[in-house]
Amino acid sequence: MKKQTVYTTQGSIWKSIMLTLPMILLILLFIAGGPPDLSTPEKSLSFLFTFSFLTLLFFLILYTGRTDRYRAWGFVALALFFALTFIVNLIRARGTMTFSQETLLACEIPFCHIVTTMILIPIAITNSIIFPGSIIGGFASIASMLVIVVGVSLALGRGFCSWGCFYGGWDDGTSRILRKPKIKKINPVFRWLSFAVLLIIALVSAMSLNPVYCDWLCPFKTVTEFEKITSFTVLMKTVVFLSLFIGLVIILPVLTGKRIQCATFCPMGALLALTNKINPFDVRINKDSCSSCEKCINACPTLSLSKEGVAAGSPSITCMKCGKCIDTCSKQAIHYHIKGTPVDKNYSWARNLFLYPAFLLLVVFLGGPMQSGIIMLINLIKNGSLIN
Amino acid sequence: MQYSSGFLLGLSTGVICLAYCGPVLLPYLMGEGKSISRNIGSVSLFLMGRLLAYLIVALVAGIIGSTLLQPSRTKTVFIAIVYMLLAVMLVLYGFHRFREVCLGRINHTASFSRIRQWSLLFALAGGFATGLNFCPPFLLAITGAMETGNVAGSLLFFLMFFLGTSIYFIPMPFVGFFRRQQVLRIIGKFAAILAGIIYMYNGMIMLLNAITSKSHI
Repeated sequence: MKKQTVYTTQGSIWKSIMLTLPMILLILLFIAGGPPDLSTPEKSLSFLFTFSFLTLLFFLILYTGRTDRYRAWGFVALALFFALTFIVNLIRARGTMTFSQETLLACEIPFCHIVTTMILIPIAITNSIIFPGSIIGGFASIASMLVIVVGVSLALGRGFCSWGCFYGGWDDGTSRILRKPKIKKINPVFRWLSFAVLLIIALVSAMSLNPVYCDWLCPFKTVTEFEKITSFTVLMKTVVFLSLFIGLVIILPVLTGKRIQCATFCPMGALLALTNKINPFDVRINKDSCSSCEKCINACPTLSLSKEGVAAGSPSITCMKCGKCIDTCSKQAIHYHIKGTPVDKNYSWARNLFLYPAFLLLVVFLGGPMQSGIIMLINLIKNGSLIN
Repeated sequence: MQYSSGFLLGLSTGVICLAYCGPVLLPYLMGEGKSISRNIGSVSLFLMGRLLAYLIVALVAGIIGSTLLQPSRTKTVFIAIVYMLLAVMLVLYGFHRFREVCLGRINHTASFSRIRQWSLLFALAGGFATGLNFCPPFLLAITGAMETGNVAGSLLFFLMFFLGTSIYFIPMPFVGFFRRQQVLRIIGKFAAILAGIIYMYNGMIMLLNAITSKSHI
């Protein structure tokens, strides 16, 4: 076996601290958004807690060499705090989690990244956006989200699904509830189902000029907003998205230990997987070091690793770069890699260069909701209400 | 109305026709994994199915005139049944030889001719069923056909409309360019099942509306 001339931060506390320092500045910059607002004890506490939590996570990722273990804490926190703050703000603004026809007509529906998969073909055909949201104004505008999607696709590819998606933390969290999954054998062919969902919802949305996934299928309406039940059709839609949430985000991830919603159903995941080909980072397997124990295949939460993939030295296009396989490999044969560089060299450089943008994405998305969420939780303890 | 305006109508609204046919045609072409030249045959069959549906509608439009545009329980039930049959076909197609597709090998010895016939029938029937989509361009075409005032004119108008819309189907056979990507066949099969579920739902809702509506037959 060749001797590997790489440097590592694992176990080196000073090297880890030095590499954490730039991230500390970036965390401060992004969660404060200017001079930090410490005007009330609640705001000060939420700011300090968020800053400490994010800094500690990044330090631990560097110091322990375990990416997924600590990423998951931040990622699950993102999903929970996003849902909490979204729902509370919605109830403050509208008095309810539901939206009505008036809200639709006023184009006040926040635009989430998944809608991107449904608006592209209709834009090409009709020169119009088939979503009742605001182009540049208000909360979560269409333009800002499209810019984020394009930027993230170019920087991280499907890494967004493990570092920035404010829904992904739900099934990432539920898939970790049982230490040993009850269902162990899942046909990896199901990882291609999300591409079929993408194909069909893109075509049907173009056909009906209606974002059908949002309208009918999105399981995450359960933890954000949904249409007020005024007819049998809306009742059906409610049954469908609730069933999908319970099935794909809770039950199946718990039983399988996999991120079933993200891996098999999310059309945005499929679209971002296509961009995995055009961004600088990927995950590679050093075949010289690999003992073919297949632990990584069993660990992969998105069914992206197979025997063939291991033999070929890379996971499939659906890899979300979560780092779980890297954490699992006892031979340290799996690593982040920068395309165009030698596969068997500079593991830590590649890892650190990947971690900065990826973790920064987590900071950008988690910073705001976490601070607001902590203030809401303090209010809950003090006043007995999240809303006031 | 001039017959040539049927062609222009098809040309101007053909993208919408393609959007309506896409959920059926694209999964089928991907699932088959044929070469470009063989896909031309499949798309031609699909278009023949569409043409058949158009000519039937043109004939009826020429005979009964504006009555065709009136809400009718019979019409709704008929289209609902066609959609549900299409849904069954899509789901069957999705599961048909799925195991072989996933494993990356096809048993050519097992009743190959029968499989081929079934596959050809699917393209024809899929085209027929999607041809009966009462989408806005199709309703415009019916109006245009009725304005010709006779059966022959109506048929000719729809033929021109069909030719205008068919231009947009020219790129479809080029899916065959990616036929070596085994994964596209798997995605095509999955997509056919999903499209089948959507058509089944649409068909059932139409049937339910027809049964519960108060309009006369």
